[in-house]
Amino acid sequence: MGAERSDNRVDLIIVAVLWVALTGAGLWWATVTNLHPIGASSNAVISDEAFDLLLYLSMPVTTFVVVVLGYSVLRFRVSLDETEDAAPVRSNRLFIAMWVLITVGLSVYVIFNPGFTGLDALAADKNAEMTIEVTASQWRWDYRYVEENIEFLDADGLVLPVDTRILFKITSQDVIHSFWVPAFRVKKDAVPGLITEVYMTTTKLGDFAQDDGFRNQCAELCGTGHTRMRTTVTVLTRVDFIAWVDAQRNAEVSG
Amino acid sequence: MSILKGIVGGILGYLLGAALVTSIRAATGAEPWDFEVATMGAYLPTVVGWLLGVGVWEYWARPWFGREAKPYTTVGWRRYFNFDTDHKVIGIQYLVSFLFLFFLAGLFAMVMRWELMNPGRDILTPSSYNGFMSLHGTMMVFVAVAAIVGAFGNYIVPIMIGADDMAFPKLNALSYWLVPVVVAFLTASFLVGGYDTGWTGYAPLSVTTRTGALFFNLAFLTLGLSSIVGAINFLTTVHKMRAPGMTWSRLPIFVWSIYVTSWLSLIFTQFIALAMLMVVFARTLGMAFFEAAAGGDPLLYQNVFWFYSHPAVYIMILPAFGVTLEILSHFSRKPLFAYKWAVGGMIGIAAMSAFVWAHHMFTSGMPDVLLKPFLASTELISIPTGLIMLSALGTIWQGRLRLHVPMLFALGVVFNFLFGGITGVFLADAPLDIQLHDTYFVVAHFHYVILGGGIFGLFAAVYYWFPKMTGRMMNETLGKVHFWWMIIGFNFTFMPMFWIGMNGMNRRISDYVPNLGGTNRMISLAGFFLGMSFVIFLWNYIYSWWRGADAPSNPWGATTLEWMTSSPPPLENFDVIPEVVGGPYTYGDKSAKHAILEPRL
Repeated sequence: MGAERSDNRVDLIIVAVLWVALTGAGLWWATVTNLHPIGASSNAVISDEAFDLLLYLSMPVTTFVVVVLGYSVLRFRVSLDETEDAAPVRSNRLFIAMWVLITVGLSVYVIFNPGFTGLDALAADKNAEMTIEVTASQWRWDYRYVEENIEFLDADGLVLPVDTRILFKITSQDVIHSFWVPAFRVKKDAVPGLITEVYMTTTKLGDFAQDDGFRNQCAELCGTGHTRMRTTVTVLTRVDFIAWVDAQRNAEVSG
Repeated sequence: MSILKGIVGGILGYLLGAALVTSIRAATGAEPWDFEVATMGAYLPTVVGWLLGVGVWEYWARPWFGREAKPYTTVGWRRYFNFDTDHKVIGIQYLVSFLFLFFLAGLFAMVMRWELMNPGRDILTPSSYNGFMSLHGTMMVFVAVAAIVGAFGNYIVPIMIGADDMAFPKLNALSYWLVPVVVAFLTASFLVGGYDTGWTGYAPLSVTTRTGALFFNLAFLTLGLSSIVGAINFLTTVHKMRAPGMTWSRLPIFVWSIYVTSWLSLIFTQFIALAMLMVVFARTLGMAFFEAAAGGDPLLYQNVFWFYSHPAVYIMILPAFGVTLEILSHFSRKPLFAYKWAVGGMIGIAAMSAFVWAHHMFTSGMPDVLLKPFLASTELISIPTGLIMLSALGTIWQGRLRLHVPMLFALGVVFNFLFGGITGVFLADAPLDIQLHDTYFVVAHFHYVILGGGIFGLFAAVYYWFPKMTGRMMNETLGKVHFWWMIIGFNFTFMPMFWIGMNGMNRRISDYVPNLGGTNRMISLAGFFLGMSFVIFLWNYIYSWWRGADAPSNPWGATTLEWMTSSPPPLENFDVIPEVVGGPYTYGDKSAKHAILEPRL
């Protein structure tokens, strides 16, 4: 029995070393690798930071399971025709207590951070400088700029000014669609009979030709044309945006 | 023969129901013939006609009318095509049927990956892509819900608790013979042009889209009926049929998993039936449950649907946890670690599963005040789930691991589920889920849980109990090739999907922005590689059943009751009623015994 115990201690030390090493390697990888596509809104920062925090927190958990699993398979395997039993350890109070404490602690922690903090940050500022009504239908997007009073039916693109707090008011005329701009980390369903709202601030210039994250793609299955239900998104400087709005008005008058 | 009678009964039932509905419509002045309305009206007569024809009448219902029930005279392989009440026959019927569905749905996945291999359109129209995608999802969900429970729940649970059969053998046969109806409705949906709503069938799309959606709704409804009937049977069996001395704390963990799963099925399946019925009535009777303009609510469907379908995820995974922990103990030759915590984990998951459904709806437009509670409840469910991991790791630690094929698959479940579980923590975080929802990150997550966990668990169970069910051994080398091929193919297929989802690939699309092409091609190739691994399995499975070496009663040297009777067991399982005298995992203690099987005076 004594021999088994000292074996166990060696095993524990090796597992601990491997665990620390693999966790370190994992965290290093997580910090040097950018897993995120381009982010061009205030919401993107909140979303990406939440991801990164969860990635860091989950790293030691993942590596712990991988190390214990891998080490056990290599260290404790016997040949297939062995029939001798292992020592009947049915419980280990310390291990169970640690496990429960840590999983409870982590689960509760992530509820508050990044969970509640992220939701609060997303909902913090409800003063929009600009309102755009987004209307989805099978299979097209309509955009109406409320303050500018211009409208695009079956639009090709959505044009926005940079550094501007924007409120999207989203609805649908038939089935459920979803307004999703990957670069903004914004996604909200378009529901018939309901107006859903999203607030966000644009933070970067860009357009679809430069990065395909600048697109509004329907994210809720809506039938045959679902795949193709997308428009480009362009973020202009505020000056360019004003010029663009004027050009649209002139086009409307002359048209 | 009985199947033929069932088909005739089903057709007669359909004609009767359709004629009735059509004449009612004619009498009320509506356009008499409407295919969907007629089909809706004919649903019950069709199902009843099939069941009566297939054997309910001959073996069950005749006494109700003062006649003699026919005796079961069918023997040999024909039993499997007959209305048979032996739980072992039913278990094999379930296993073969759902393996067939699994491979068919897998072929559909291959077709989808072919289309997605390159940007642009390759072989499918967007509409037929949606059709394949919807059928793939639906059939795989059905497999995940019913395969382990139906096959091994039926075959193994009664033997494990020392019973001679299930509590209600006829109901058991009934719940199996509803499965062909499910398959028939899915086939019918395919024949009328498929449906394009995915397995989630969201209203209002499911109300306005093509006729195939009606058959999807009826198929799901029927599977639900089968699940509820089965659940009642399992619960009664575990409560009432345990051998003397088989106390609750002596139940093998697999029995616990089926028991807890059955409570979930019993309580929650009726909600999916409700969701399906509402869509059927909206389609055929014009009831405006989901139509905002007429006072309905489009989000109503999602609430009712997920109120079943999130617990259903645990219906899919809990039996696989049970199989995994069972196998880890036997092949580590060590008692299950923290048995009571593992049981508590299963019960905790089941209890909490009722309070997390709206995490599927974070972007749906539901009231903002609900985001925090559902975020919190969802993160907390990782605590009981963690207890399963705790038990798994504690069991293999310092065990004496014999890496037979079932053990490899059980270890595979632990490895794969780790990634499925951890990414669930990410998705539960509402601020992040806004971006990840409805992308391939979710696709990767649930394939890690359901394919990596549930289906690896299914294969672990197949390899583990095959000798018991067929009396023959599977080929060990081919099994190992299958395992390594499958786990490598699986991880190379689904790991990149996390990345591609974060980078803008959304679900359920037949085409995507060009710069995702490289990763998609790699995923497709890995997917084909994964698909080919099943050829090895099929060969091994069929050939071993036909010509495999004879299996002894206890090839693995395991301690639970199913290994204390012959392979396969005789009718009614044991020659003498076992007397249970100790826990199920007696490893490392020569004096301990699980059960005594001696003829008593």
